[in-house]
Amino acid sequence: MARPRSFDVRQQTGFTFVAICCFVLLYLPIILLVVYSFNAGTSIAIWEGFSWQWYEAAWNNEKVQEATILSLIIASSASLVATSVAVMAALATTRTGKFKGSGLVFAMINQPLMIPEIVTAVALLLMFAMIKVSTGYTGIWYLIIAHSAFCIPFAYMPIRARLQGMDLNLEQAAADLYGQPWQVFRRVTLPQLWPGILSGAMLSFVVSLDDVVITEFVKSAGQDTLPTYMLGQLRRAITPEVNAISTALLAISIAMVVAFYLLSKSKEK
Amino acid sequence: MIEIAGLSKIFGVGASAFTALENINVTIRENEFFTLLGPSGCGKTTLLRSIAGFVNPSSGSLTVNGEDMLSKPPYARPVNTVFQNYALFPHMTVAENIGFGLEMLGRPKSEIKSVVADMLDLVQMAPMADRMTSQISGGQQQRVALARALAPKPKVLLLDEPLSALDFKLRKEMQIELKRLQSETGITFVFVTHDQEEALTMSDRIAVMKSGRILQIGGPKDIYDHPAERFVADFIGDTNFVSADLVTEANGIAQVRLPSGKTVEARSPAGGAQSGSVTIAVRPEHAVLSEPGALIDGRLKNIVYFGTDTHYHIESDGQPTFVVRRQNQPDAVEHHQVGDTVGISFNSGTAQVLRD
Repeated sequence: MARPRSFDVRQQTGFTFVAICCFVLLYLPIILLVVYSFNAGTSIAIWEGFSWQWYEAAWNNEKVQEATILSLIIASSASLVATSVAVMAALATTRTGKFKGSGLVFAMINQPLMIPEIVTAVALLLMFAMIKVSTGYTGIWYLIIAHSAFCIPFAYMPIRARLQGMDLNLEQAAADLYGQPWQVFRRVTLPQLWPGILSGAMLSFVVSLDDVVITEFVKSAGQDTLPTYMLGQLRRAITPEVNAISTALLAISIAMVVAFYLLSKSKEK
Repeated sequence: MIEIAGLSKIFGVGASAFTALENINVTIRENEFFTLLGPSGCGKTTLLRSIAGFVNPSSGSLTVNGEDMLSKPPYARPVNTVFQNYALFPHMTVAENIGFGLEMLGRPKSEIKSVVADMLDLVQMAPMADRMTSQISGGQQQRVALARALAPKPKVLLLDEPLSALDFKLRKEMQIELKRLQSETGITFVFVTHDQEEALTMSDRIAVMKSGRILQIGGPKDIYDHPAERFVADFIGDTNFVSADLVTEANGIAQVRLPSGKTVEARSPAGGAQSGSVTIAVRPEHAVLSEPGALIDGRLKNIVYFGTDTHYHIESDGQPTFVVRRQNQPDAVEHHQVGDTVGISFNSGTAQVLRD
């Protein structure tokens, strides 16, 4: 259907200019970052020719390797936990009758989106400190638990949207055809829910991979994820190695977003 | 056999409470094609969903072959449903859809395979067995939905306006098809529709519903020829309403006096009309035009030619416009003209006294 011609925002004075400015602000820094990751010199501001050396340096840097492995472990574990919890939460908030306080439950599930991250970070730091004192455990699980928690709303949103968009008659039809509740879930609900689950899992993976604030507060001494390692590097002499790592992260994120887009397109049919 | 007694359903509580079903009493017989007919919001779908188990009635009892249904969840009831939008599983093939019920019942693979093959033949969908349900047409989806619901051989098949999404021609075909399937399988069909013609052509018996209540239950001819209430007469087919006075009433036969002073015999409804001034219903095709001085006299206001028949609209004092329908014969000459004074006659016993 054609849009009515009577109002077109492009006719507003300066609209195109403002729009171009926004895009420049959004993408120019990223382009510069990517360009300088190929710098042959040691400066992040003076171009001295093309080279892969900083990618090689980052690849061979043991600290980067460790941080990458830790980041991947945490992101996949958090994504797995958050997505499982989110599936259950989404089922509970879309497949039950309307109950008193369902709005409150919805808000509580999305708490990490509404409370400033720094508050959550400090709260987690304090609570984990108590546990550390009483148990002496300083391992990776604090980070996995923290990341799982703040990833839940990111996994919950697409799964809930998918469940709400599903035809309730399908589940009723399955129940009508002698499907017991768990069979209905496994044979009808779950197969249709997959695109939502994958979207949720990928979103939480990316969000976890990217997190600095909570990780910085919760991590034990010597633990570093890629973002906190990079933050640490910035306190010393900055080399284009940081650019190279950022560019690699950017590539992973873009790959994820493209996959996410393709999946959400396929679910629309 | 489905026995429903004193069934009521109230949605909500307090001031916003809505009575969807009010004291429903009906017995649906074995192998019967039983139709719930009524306008939208009359409770027919709520009643169907109560039988399927998706609605929990507030009170009353519901048994299938003597077995209580209300205590059972939908998956434990020997009934299957054909949904209005078909609700086919989009991630399964046609054959997988049809076999789903048997699979849930834990039947052996070989049995499922042979039943699915039989069902595909029954609904003439065998060449489409391996298609996804999104790759077949609306009419084909309809057949698959039907086959899926029939495959587990339920005692009762519930159909929720299954033909409403089909175009006119396909709907006519499927009406005949459904009737054939019902007689071939011997399964009790409970069919919900708001289409009176569909109800009349397919049903063994019809229950006409309004505002959560069943107004009348009877065979198509019974409902059409002898509607008990004004709503039934009005909802099914075209009807002329004439006010009259009740003279006598006994054994289902009433004598009524028309405004012209003439007295005619009419059927009285079950339980009787029991009041002096009544409304009688006369079907347009049960009345004929005659010379003035008949049961009702009036002025011919309009002649409308419909091809198969002609409608004469007659105005008379203090009565709504009366329509007489005459079937057209080849080369018949039209004797009447607009403005003529004409009489309306109908045979004794064809008019029906209504319970208002």
